[in-house]
Amino acid sequence: MNKFMMVLASCCLAASALASEVKLDTVKVGIDKPTVGRGVEAMMTDCHSCHSMKYIKYRDLLSLGVDKKKVDEWRGDQPMDAALMAQMPEADAMAAYGSAPPDLSLMAKAREGGANYVYSYLLGYYTTPDGTTHNHIFPATKMPDILGMSNAKEAAERTAIQGKARDIVSYLVWASDPHAQERQSLGYYVMGYLFVLTLMLYFVKNQIWAKLK
Amino acid sequence: MPHRIINWIDQRFPLTSFVKHELTGYPTPRNLSYWWNFGFLAGFVLMLQVATGIFLAMHYKADIAMSFDSIQHIMRDVNYGWLLRYLHSTGASAFFFVIFIHMARTLYYGSYRAPRELLWWTGQGLLLLLMGTAFMGYLLPWGQMSFWGATVITNLFRATPFIGDQVVIWLRGDYTVGDATLTRFFALHYLFPFLIIGAVIVHLVALHTVKSSNPSGINLQDKDNIPFHPYFTIKDLYGLGLFLMLYSVFVFFMPDSLIEPANNIPANPMVTPNHIVPEWYFLPFYAILRSVPNMVGGVVAMGVSVLIFAFMPYLDRSRIPGGAHYRPMFRGLFYFFAIDMGVLGYIGYIPPTEQSILIGQVATFIYFTLFLILPFLSKFEERWLMKRGLTPEIEALIASEAKEISEKSKKRSKR
Amino acid sequence: MVTEALNDGDRRNFLIKLTSVVGGAGVAATCVPFVASMNPSSDVLAKAETEVDLTHITLGGMHTVAWQGKPVFILHRTPEQIKASAESNGGLQPEADSKRVQKPEWLVVIGVCTHMGCVPNKEGPGWECHCHGSQYDDSGRVIRGPAPKNLEVPPYHFVADNKIVIGKA
Repeated sequence: MNKFMMVLASCCLAASALASEVKLDTVKVGIDKPTVGRGVEAMMTDCHSCHSMKYIKYRDLLSLGVDKKKVDEWRGDQPMDAALMAQMPEADAMAAYGSAPPDLSLMAKAREGGANYVYSYLLGYYTTPDGTTHNHIFPATKMPDILGMSNAKEAAERTAIQGKARDIVSYLVWASDPHAQERQSLGYYVMGYLFVLTLMLYFVKNQIWAKLK
Repeated sequence: MPHRIINWIDQRFPLTSFVKHELTGYPTPRNLSYWWNFGFLAGFVLMLQVATGIFLAMHYKADIAMSFDSIQHIMRDVNYGWLLRYLHSTGASAFFFVIFIHMARTLYYGSYRAPRELLWWTGQGLLLLLMGTAFMGYLLPWGQMSFWGATVITNLFRATPFIGDQVVIWLRGDYTVGDATLTRFFALHYLFPFLIIGAVIVHLVALHTVKSSNPSGINLQDKDNIPFHPYFTIKDLYGLGLFLMLYSVFVFFMPDSLIEPANNIPANPMVTPNHIVPEWYFLPFYAILRSVPNMVGGVVAMGVSVLIFAFMPYLDRSRIPGGAHYRPMFRGLFYFFAIDMGVLGYIGYIPPTEQSILIGQVATFIYFTLFLILPFLSKFEERWLMKRGLTPEIEALIASEAKEISEKSKKRSKR
Repeated sequence: MVTEALNDGDRRNFLIKLTSVVGGAGVAATCVPFVASMNPSSDVLAKAETEVDLTHITLGGMHTVAWQGKPVFILHRTPEQIKASAESNGGLQPEADSKRVQKPEWLVVIGVCTHMGCVPNKEGPGWECHCHGSQYDDSGRVIRGPAPKNLEVPPYHFVADNKIVIGKA
């Protein structure tokens, strides 16, 4: 029976080890407020003209520690409770790019590879000798190279773009699961409690069963 | 005062005697190993799923325009909604994990053999109900995997003779999986757990009629039984603690590992994801479906692969007690089967290539062959073991069982 | 069957008692998220404030706005109404008019009858509830039962001369 469990476990591991075919860069997602805050700003200036984040509201940005003045500036005369919608109407985007830009609320979870996928995609632009720009992660993409990776030649410039991509991805990871940190910190308490309780149950069990011998 | 209340009830309803006979004092073999914990765990996960499910249903909306949003509402706005949802989505995997081990234990120790056929069959019924519930629940988030999973599985019914296409439309209430499908799946997903509870009661009544099997594989004499409480209540609770630790690792630290990324994209009937896979617990059966090149054949093979377990009491013809424990050939077959299941699961997960399809076909062939050779192998093994001379251990087991049976029949003839 | 169960010595066993307490605490703590999930969710709580522009309410006129889904009556009182309200102390639950308004010309009350929760109608001076016949004056004070209490004054404050926010005092 124990051997059976070993086989089962190894099959599970093998199945989860299967990733997508394209090699993705790994990104160390930041959960600190400065990083995520910079991600919010980058998104606001570079992404929201086309993309929406309909599950995120302006008031959510306040809870992230973003300055209220900035939030007021972004929302204009919309209420705090309004969702972060794209500035460009979807029909216009369809006309301009041929497909509607996807909502980004869940993007960090919605692709195989998660945050690494988004990070690699943002940095995955390159220019061919004929002068056209492509993306090696998502060749069919309609999005222009917003961060400018395909034109960045100098190392310092490339590092700066990588940093910006990391900020954006960190914000998207937060947006895809705003309660993740709360979940993990609660998880440590739950694990600690269960460990103590199980240990106690083990001793009680031994005590009760000892009487049988 | 409590004493008087219990007396009052006992005159009208057999409360104390029921608790004494079926719960606290229920005679249980003392030699049960930890593999016998999983029935209790399955019951626990069932209750957990019902509780979290009822509270989720208070916030969920079964409407294709709203269901995806309502899940996000639960995950983001509802107090502890994320916890309830992750408990429920992880709970589905936990349920199958526990049930598969429960079944594997039954197969390994031959617990399906007479007189426990009905116990085994009610368990089979429970597995089918569980699969149905899990499948319908998976549609509810209305993500891409939900939609295409439901599309593929409802299409299986196209294999129905003559009226296949009509049956599929009837199941969906629409030409594709649509609003009618989602709403009825929600209604049935809420109903089925109560059918499961009913079937669990039947399962338990059957269990308490024939009593628990045990690792020795024979019915123990009365002196080897101990009362369920406190010995097995505490053992079950200790096992529950261990289980909850494993479960919590998934719920709190890697809940999304059990949710396909594509299910974070709202259902789109116009675009199928490049690679659709069922949940891990359906993978071996899905691989069998894909391995048969003919549509009807594939559906039949998949159905038979689940139902064939019901024939185990008749396929296994050996009278040697102790399941795989004392039967080297059967034991080999068991492990071979387990590995074959693993291979099928892996093949069901990866995108089909020429090579993987071939491996899947071989594994499918082996899957059914193992069941079909069992009657001959078990008979051959019995003769072989007899000829070689049974170990004193088994001889003693058989003798003690024979003695018990003769005593029982004596008692019966006296009456 | 071996029937030796827990004897009395065990029942007083410290370890078992402690484990039961720890386990019971866990069960109780597990109930918290289930119970909490039935409380208003964060998007409902975010709608707990309502801003009202008063410029459009004519003298003597009444305007009903929704706050937390409940009707709130805003009455632009005439000098006569103010005078009548100030002179009386109400009926069943005496209360000075000055304690119920921030500016005498504006009365803001929750339009839910304190009896069984119907919405009273503006009739003559004050309101009458058609469900069971309770009557309120122009200060929202109950002057005829069966309602036991005056109409509730919600928390609100003036953010400008002609603008109030209901929901926060």
